[in-house]
Amino acid sequence: MSAPAAHSAEAGHQEPSKFHVFIQIAMVLAVITGIEVVLVYLPLAKWLVVSTLCILSAVKFMFVIFIFMHLKWDKLLCTILFFIGLVLAGGTMWALLHLFGAEASKPLSSIVGLISL
Amino acid sequence: MSSHAATGQIDHHHDHTTTTGIPNKKLLWWAFLASDCMFFGALISTHLIYRLNPPPGNAVPTQVFNIELTSFSTFILLMSSLLMALAVNAIQRGNIKSTRVMLLGTMFFGCIFLGGQVYEFAHFVAVKKMTLSNSIFGSTFYTLTGTHGTHVAIGVLLLGMMYVRTFKPTHGNGLIKNFVHLLAVCAVMGVSFIWLVPGLIEVVYGVPLTEMLHHAAVPLAVGAVALVATFVLGRTSGDVEFGEKNAGDVEAIGLYWHFVDIVWIIIFTAVYLLEYL
Repeated sequence: MSAPAAHSAEAGHQEPSKFHVFIQIAMVLAVITGIEVVLVYLPLAKWLVVSTLCILSAVKFMFVIFIFMHLKWDKLLCTILFFIGLVLAGGTMWALLHLFGAEASKPLSSIVGLISL
Repeated sequence: MSSHAATGQIDHHHDHTTTTGIPNKKLLWWAFLASDCMFFGALISTHLIYRLNPPPGNAVPTQVFNIELTSFSTFILLMSSLLMALAVNAIQRGNIKSTRVMLLGTMFFGCIFLGGQVYEFAHFVAVKKMTLSNSIFGSTFYTLTGTHGTHVAIGVLLLGMMYVRTFKPTHGNGLIKNFVHLLAVCAVMGVSFIWLVPGLIEVVYGVPLTEMLHHAAVPLAVGAVALVATFVLGRTSGDVEFGEKNAGDVEAIGLYWHFVDIVWIIIFTAVYLLEYL
């Protein structure tokens, strides 16, 4: 290691370590993924499973962006910038799914009732 | 003067030389990732819209998917995100050796994920007879997951470039050596996710190991030579230019890597898990 780097390393060790936080978050993410996989095989109401899956995915998403991607410690502008893209993407998805999910949008050739997301 | 400047420490979350207080490079990456959100939003929407109203003759996803393998891939990608976060943490503390190990680990896990995808695609086409053009489901599925896989592959390449950059000597440019080093790293990663990992998955599913080795003998031999070259070129004795001051560069690559992870979190739920309800 170069001399300046070694000096910086000593200075850096004065900061609180995020090491254990990262490990704990990774374990939580792995457990949530396991729960998600098991959940789809449980004999529960479909709306309940879908809602739970969405919530669990959102939790995983937030853990990664705020902890692993350091948004928690960065300037608020980074969060705002990213959420602009995220809200636009989410809004577009919501609009498209409602538009094409409407009764009048169903193509005549589709197999109605084969699958409904 | 700020407290960080007074103590000689580098503030990794704020840059006092820019008007926003954010390093320009980091701001650029966040803007790019925000735009990439919209890109993937469009691809995921397209896939889900066609799943809402599947045309006749469409593939049945639950008969095609292998949820155990995909769950394993998801776990691997999440763990690669952990290693990436640890790599950023290590370089912010000026620990180059640990940074290299974590970057290599992240690349390795990325290659396992990509190898799983290569196996999955090959299996879907050869065994399940689902191609890009013979069903709407195939078209949207391969476009979406293939685009994500391309992002992961680009991420592995960027990580490889960053890994090699950590060896740049303080004196002399070492350009040719670093270029050869990068080629060796790319060869190892390429062989890993195109031949080694898919081959090992086939072995897990019952193909004899000897058959796998015979089938991919040449690429595996090339990969082994490249691996030796990677280790030899990675033996460094002198001072290197790379250090804590480059933490922003590693963090920028990390942002991209975590982004492909969060996109997969959405794809795993929306494309795979919801089909099993």
